[in-house]
Amino acid sequence: MKRLLVLAFIFSILFTTSCDALSGLTGSSLKIGLVTDVGGLNDKSFNALANTGRLDAAKDFGVQTSVIESKKQEDYVPNLTTFAQQNYDLVIGVGFLMTNSVWKVAKQFPNVKFAIIDGAPADDAGKTENLPNVANLFFKEQEAGYLVGVIAATMAKDKVGKATHNTVCSMGGIPIPPVDHYIAGYQDAVKTVSPSTTILNGYSNDFVDQAKGKEVGLNHISKNCDILFQVAGGSGLGYIAAAKDKGVYAIGVDADQADVAPGVVITSALKRVNKAVYNTVKSVKDKAYKSGDNFFSIANDGIGYGKLDPIVPANAKAAAEQALTDIKSGKIVPKDTVQVKG
Amino acid sequence: MTLASSAPPTGPLAAPSVRQPSAQWAQGPAVPVISVLVALFIGAIFVLISGHNPIRAYAALILGAFGSPYDISETLVIAVPLTLAGLSVAVAFRTGLFNIGAQGQLLVGALAAGWTGSQFPDLPGILLLPMTLVSGVLGGAAYGAIAGWLKATRGVNEVITTIMQNYIVVFVMHWLLQDGPMSAPNALGTPASSPIGAGAILPIIIPNELVPLSRLHAGIVLAVLAVVLFWFLLWRTSLGYELRAVGLGARAAAQAGIDPRRRMILVMAIAGGFAGLAGMIQVSGLFHRVFDGFSSGFGFDAIAVALLGKNSPIGITLAAILFAAFARGGTLMQANASISSHLVEVIEALVLFVIAAETIVRAIAGRRGTPAEALA
Repeated sequence: MKRLLVLAFIFSILFTTSCDALSGLTGSSLKIGLVTDVGGLNDKSFNALANTGRLDAAKDFGVQTSVIESKKQEDYVPNLTTFAQQNYDLVIGVGFLMTNSVWKVAKQFPNVKFAIIDGAPADDAGKTENLPNVANLFFKEQEAGYLVGVIAATMAKDKVGKATHNTVCSMGGIPIPPVDHYIAGYQDAVKTVSPSTTILNGYSNDFVDQAKGKEVGLNHISKNCDILFQVAGGSGLGYIAAAKDKGVYAIGVDADQADVAPGVVITSALKRVNKAVYNTVKSVKDKAYKSGDNFFSIANDGIGYGKLDPIVPANAKAAAEQALTDIKSGKIVPKDTVQVKG
Repeated sequence: MTLASSAPPTGPLAAPSVRQPSAQWAQGPAVPVISVLVALFIGAIFVLISGHNPIRAYAALILGAFGSPYDISETLVIAVPLTLAGLSVAVAFRTGLFNIGAQGQLLVGALAAGWTGSQFPDLPGILLLPMTLVSGVLGGAAYGAIAGWLKATRGVNEVITTIMQNYIVVFVMHWLLQDGPMSAPNALGTPASSPIGAGAILPIIIPNELVPLSRLHAGIVLAVLAVVLFWFLLWRTSLGYELRAVGLGARAAAQAGIDPRRRMILVMAIAGGFAGLAGMIQVSGLFHRVFDGFSSGFGFDAIAVALLGKNSPIGITLAAILFAAFARGGTLMQANASISSHLVEVIEALVLFVIAAETIVRAIAGRRGTPAEALA
């Protein structure tokens, strides 16, 4: 009996001290919560970038931030709810897989602000319904596609290195808007910079399976492609692998993929999810939060191109820089509809 | 095998034993409880190494799982399918079979329930809900029975077949939902079926005014009934007696006139039925449709739940709640204490590891003399 009492005493001490430790977390500063999709924090893409943005914002604005990694699709609603219930000021969901979950939770907590990357809230039937407390963070992917398209076209036209066939290609995962925007901008740039260059396009119909991406890649290379632009997430890594196997060039997407295959990946079309997160946190802090569609583009540093491989000549880089300036000034408006489908 | 056969022939709900309390403790909850404590202790070392305060980590874990009515309801939402899948594994264990296929059986149950529920959307609940339930249970049972039949007639090891069955159903499911007959447009961004009819939905049992967005549904009632059924079946029917007899020694049972092969098919069907019920509940209670990547992992956690629960009804229920609390609390631990939620996976693995090393735990329990007396 005596030992039981002692045990109970120890536990009660542990519990009270730990509760104190926890309550130390809550303060008066803004609270920002980030919920990843099932890709997790180490996806080297959207989730990782969003987390970078969160950490940058925490450092620069002195806000409290937390992250929850979703392990299953069915965790989205409870994870978003967890933050909303604790009266977080802003809850950010990563990825278009969460459109329905954000819709559900945001309706329930009208006083909590939400943001969703690459999507807009959608009801149970899949119909978009903008909510006064949800910011939809979209990107002008066509601008990123245009920038890498300028580099690809210049290299194809000048027959730089192994790019000897004046043919460039692209592969999407599934033809959904964010994917096709990239491809549209890419093709627009090639047609503008080098009208004589042949353009091919394909879809792996998958965002995960590398084998499918590689199959499309080998097919494209057999048709004389020597610059391959992937817009297919994990499946696109197979597309890059095909370029590596056959000794031609590839272009990465979303994050900087130079490390995937050095010497093969000449640059990447960047979607700076970290900037979108950072700027949205800033907007909440500055009381400038805007619900509904928010666009991230070259103009607000949300779009760009990645590290250039040494093989990329100076004139290609200069052309990309010029395009960057022209898009920023509005002189160039990249198309967002795909011209060459197959 | 040793785990299943080393379990006492009578469950904790059976007639009171005349053994000493200390022996009961060592036979009963000693190993699971010590396993969890040892795992938590080793987990604390990991937390320390990662530069965090273990007390704060575990406090966040507990608060995350039980800190608010919403947290408790979410923990229970996870515990429901875990309990049922745990029963599925345990009933097979009791008969000396390893059912590694609870995940696949759960998915078949979900597909069958989702198909029935969405095929007749206009039927009233009084008809549609039982139909959906029966579809789910029968779907899982049929899938489980295949492994039992292969074992009984061809001697194919059920571990292999049930593992393979898990893969088969995942890919068939992908096809059904992506291009196949169950595919439907949706807002999930992943292949999914059309929603089930209103009549097939298990209602939320906590009003929104009380706990906003609570997802705790009537499936928890079904889970409790299933636990009772599991106990009744195994310890209060002659079939249960035969199943347990086969589990303790198939040859001896055969000598006593019990045909182990028929029991194998039957018990795998029962196991599949429990898992199929879990799948049906996930469809009818939570998501109201089936989608690709549905309820991943429950069937595998269920193996741990059954082991930790020593294949007893109460043990499984408690173990399922514990694992659900890990899952739910881990999320909050990451959010509130910035400790990776993967820590709970480490702890879960350690729990299993320690259970597997049961003899070590027995040694610890034994050397302490009689822990029951020590605590008194």
